[in-house]
Amino acid sequence: MSEVTVPAAQRAPEAESVSPGRWVRENLFSSVSNAIQTMFFSLVLLGLLRWVLGQIFSEEANWTSVATNMRLLFTYNYPTEQFVRIWFAAGALFLAVGASFAAWNLNPMVTVRRVGVALAGTGAVSLVVGLIAPDTTPSAVRTGFFVVGIGLVALALAVLKVVPEPHRRQIPFIGLLAGVAGVICGVLWFFPFGDYGFADGAPTAESGTIDSSTSLPVTVMFLIMIGTYLAGRALARMIDLGWLRRTMIGWWVIGPAFIVFLVLRDPEFDWGYVLAVDVPMGAAFALGGGALLYLLAKPSRSELARVIGALLVALALFHWVAAFFGWYPMLQKARFSFALIAVAALLAPTFAGERAARLRFAGGWFGFMVLFHWLLTGINTPSTLDIAAPPFLGGFVLTVSIAYYVMLASFPLGVLLSLARTSKMPIFRVLATTYIEVVRGVPLITVLFFFSIMLPLFLPGGMGISDLAAVFAGYTVFSAAYMAENIRGGLQSVRRGQYEAADALGLTTVQRTAFIVLPQALRVSIPNLVGQAIATFKETSLIAIVGGFDLLRIANSTIPNQPDFLGQKRPALFFISLVYFVVAYSMSRASRNLEERLQAGQAR
Amino acid sequence: MSIADQALTEEMASRRDMIVCRGVKKWFGDFQALAGVDVTVKDREVMVVLGPSGSGKSTLIRCINRLEVHQEGEIVVDGVEMSNDMRNIEKIRSEVGMVFQQFNLFPHLTVLDNITLAPIWVRKRARVEAEAKAMELLERVGIPEQANKFPGQLSGGQQQRVAIARSLAMEPKIMLFDEPTSALDPEMISEVLDVMKDLARGGMTMMVVTHEMGFAREVADRLVFMESGDVVEVGTPEHFFTNPREERTKLFLSQIL
Ligand SMILES: Nc1ncnc2c1ncn2[C@@H]1O[C@H](COP(=O)(O)OP(=O)(O)OP(=O)(O)O)[C@@H](O)[C@H]1O
Ligand SMILES: [Mg+2]
Repeated sequence: MSEVTVPAAQRAPEAESVSPGRWVRENLFSSVSNAIQTMFFSLVLLGLLRWVLGQIFSEEANWTSVATNMRLLFTYNYPTEQFVRIWFAAGALFLAVGASFAAWNLNPMVTVRRVGVALAGTGAVSLVVGLIAPDTTPSAVRTGFFVVGIGLVALALAVLKVVPEPHRRQIPFIGLLAGVAGVICGVLWFFPFGDYGFADGAPTAESGTIDSSTSLPVTVMFLIMIGTYLAGRALARMIDLGWLRRTMIGWWVIGPAFIVFLVLRDPEFDWGYVLAVDVPMGAAFALGGGALLYLLAKPSRSELARVIGALLVALALFHWVAAFFGWYPMLQKARFSFALIAVAALLAPTFAGERAARLRFAGGWFGFMVLFHWLLTGINTPSTLDIAAPPFLGGFVLTVSIAYYVMLASFPLGVLLSLARTSKMPIFRVLATTYIEVVRGVPLITVLFFFSIMLPLFLPGGMGISDLAAVFAGYTVFSAAYMAENIRGGLQSVRRGQYEAADALGLTTVQRTAFIVLPQALRVSIPNLVGQAIATFKETSLIAIVGGFDLLRIANSTIPNQPDFLGQKRPALFFISLVYFVVAYSMSRASRNLEERLQAGQAR
Repeated sequence: MSIADQALTEEMASRRDMIVCRGVKKWFGDFQALAGVDVTVKDREVMVVLGPSGSGKSTLIRCINRLEVHQEGEIVVDGVEMSNDMRNIEKIRSEVGMVFQQFNLFPHLTVLDNITLAPIWVRKRARVEAEAKAMELLERVGIPEQANKFPGQLSGGQQQRVAIARSLAMEPKIMLFDEPTSALDPEMISEVLDVMKDLARGGMTMMVVTHEMGFAREVADRLVFMESGDVVEVGTPEHFFTNPREERTKLFLSQIL
């Protein structure tokens, strides 16, 4: 019932297709000055291209340094025998992507004409590259460019001639993407990439074929993504779409934590300790806390709940003070749990109601505690992965995971901060404003240094924080302040009438915020939020300064120091620029599509 | 007889009080928007509020569901006094429907979701039940086929009818209307007024701010004329349109009719 397709507005007639010759005449050579400009900028462009090609094909640039170090660039020295974890995590991610595409019915189409034009354009560029490539270019490579260029142009012409009405015919964009990904997978099998890895603590270089530890999993990932997409589509026809969507949203919320658990977990869990300490403690907080909250959530006990909540807050604070002076030992997990139950007790009056409401509140706490303790148990145990060099996470995986988890963690924090900053309660407003202004007034690098070097000094004895966690915390703190400002812009765009309508219907403040205000505010903030996500993604390169081995550090200092590739900086830097660009550009395209979809949904 | 109870028939006077305002005063900063308003609305009564722009009509009905907070006097809605130490303002509000001049539909939700949101989350109805009820209401306001569109895809008249259906979905005891047709093109006004007339015939207690004199004459049990935050005159439509007592009322009506 909730899903009835609204007939798409009549599609505007597509611009009449003009012949390439006419297009060139009308757009590039319409007047003398236009012609001069066209010539001038073409020359500049060609010169630039030739310079870039010169860099790429110069005798000094040894591209084997990139091909051989592929593994280093992507996973650094994560132990090969543990790769299955990364692959599993990637598989789960792809699974979610495929299923989400199906659940939201994302099926963008492109016209055959656009595909043809893109092919022809790529072919033409390839031909030009072949033509102007500098003399140092190996002749095989030059021939390769010619062959590819001619092939693509011929293919494009054939497609455009054979397919009737190419500007009307549509093909699914996803199919196209799958085709490209398939080609890349195929390349892995046939093109000999070298392998630069760690064995027994020493770097080893093997030129020649990459072993099946990479090409096979990549291919499997590719098949998983296609498979889940198709399965998801089939499923979407059979079951309620709303249900599938809710499941997927749920997955996107807990999935990442689940993956962290999977990737970072100690492979040899001390089950004895887990059963003797972790499980009973988690159960005690989940059950005891649930019971307490059930009792406190009775409307007539609001006062009591506030008093007990305040006492619990005091107790939670005291635990940290005690930890600081080392008065008595306590698991960090327990300290966090005490703080959480204190907050929940304070919230009890808000969720107070009759039996069913109280049960739901207590049940929510129970589920949350189980998840919380499970994750903390998984993450808390020190990793005993046998790794060659201290930081086992590095390269593209590090870049992406830091960016992803920072965004994931700073988003809710940013939402809360922006709400606090716009709230009616002066205390919240002052706290949030102070936080935001302080953080925004400090350079990111300072925050990172503070967290990686200073923070451990402030921590109580016996409580360590790994470098990675410190950096992650620093980024999150930093990013949240900017998120908050972006979301605040969105909040201000929500009209007063929306608040009043929600109030008039009897929604509570929490419901009004969650269902009416935030969805509208976030929609407005999408472009800014994505812009910030892209910035966060690129700023991860600062990890290098505080000791992490991210893409940039590997390209800039690890590879040039390898005996085989001494001083080889340019190829790797070119390569990682390309990687950064592809990811950032995809994000910005995706956000534009999302915006268009949302706008199409609620056209004014 | 106080001004609030003027022009009540005996039968009406015997009915329950749904809204009682006694000496309601309200300031915006130094500006006094309500200067001691006395009004009573009886059960199943339709009360139309008239008055020049800025006379405090909107402020008055917004105080009744506490979108604005009055500073002096008392407002009692269905036996519950509106005051600061009220526990469950949401509960009272859910009993009082409100329709705004600017519709204020939720633009990110479909028509159906606009209507079912509050029943599901405030009344804790099951979704299926809420949707069935919503379809019934859309049927009643004449636009069941628009259920899955977004508000932005509807005409003004359709949007206002959705807004009425949204309020009705909460099964309110009282409906407040603040110039529901003022933002509409002329050809859409009647479709909204028809829905409101229907509602009045069904015995809904209504307080309506409007400049639609045809509607007032046909549907209202009583009219209130306000000026400068004060109630000037209360009376039946017949009294108002044939022989108003106050000079100011006469002047206003002569301008508007
Ligand atoms: N939020 C506010 N802050 C300050 N003054 C206000 C506010 N809301 C209303 N007023 C003032 O209070 C007075 C009464 O306003 P109100 O909106 O109740 O008038 P109204 O009778 O509904 O007029 P209209 O027919 O134009 O809607 C006006 O002078 C207005 O300027
Ligand atoms: Mg008004």
